[in-house]
Amino acid sequence: MIPILGISVWLVVKIFAILAFLIYLLFALVIVRQVRLMTETIQVGFETPLKFLSYVHLTFAGVVLLLALIIL
Amino acid sequence: MPDIFISAPEPKAEKKEEIARPQTPLPEFIPTQGSFLSAYLYKPRNVEFETRGSDEKIILFLRQHLVVNSKWIIVAILMVFAPIILRYFPILSFLPGNFRFVAVLGWYLITMAFVLENFISWFYNIYIVTNERIIDINFYDLVYKEVTDANIEKIQDITYRMGGVVKSVFGYGDVFIQTAAEISDFEFPSVPNPEHVAKILQELAMSKKEGS
Repeated sequence: MIPILGISVWLVVKIFAILAFLIYLLFALVIVRQVRLMTETIQVGFETPLKFLSYVHLTFAGVVLLLALIIL
Repeated sequence: MPDIFISAPEPKAEKKEEIARPQTPLPEFIPTQGSFLSAYLYKPRNVEFETRGSDEKIILFLRQHLVVNSKWIIVAILMVFAPIILRYFPILSFLPGNFRFVAVLGWYLITMAFVLENFISWFYNIYIVTNERIIDINFYDLVYKEVTDANIEKIQDITYRMGGVVKSVFGYGDVFIQTAAEISDFEFPSVPNPEHVAKILQELAMSKKEGS
């Protein structure tokens, strides 16, 4: 532990990492919304797997955020 | 006494027949069913788009050739294996174990976003030719959506370009369409069979102009 002004460096890193993962979660939500918009615009027979992929990505982002909160 | 000067009957009906020439048929390409990854579909049956008119028929469904994805696929493969390679070059060794673990997870998150962004951008950059219009559907950076179209009869000039080793080997190229519509230039970049696309567009434009 390297204290700077009485605060652990790793605590600062943890806060930044969680903030970054939170922003990423928002980005994953945007992807889900965009995929829905795209699948409404045009249908080519691959809508369900693509929506599923976007939800997998969103779940993964949520899991990583949770892990960062727990582990770090 | 027989009449010497008898005017010949006016060939009005014949002239009308001459003007009303039969519409030039479209080239006999075989309708293709294809898979969801197909970049060239002629008269597809499994494609629908939201602004399609009730009597509008899709003649061509195009997107960039599958080969154009090779660059980002290679980068994605390298990104997947990067944490394994980094084991031999411990540049993250200064981090505690739990931070390293989360960093690797974050890296795979970025990799997944990279793959999704590139795949979706390719998958949903679509060019559609119907019996009435040409439509260009674009999605930029997963955030912007742009749909432009022009009526077939507004087409003025169609050119296509094929060049380079890769394009010649895989048979794809760029099609440029000049129209008299508000958006004057349409570009279908890296589409398969550009010569077929240009021919179909020319035939469609001709038959539309003759029909009107």
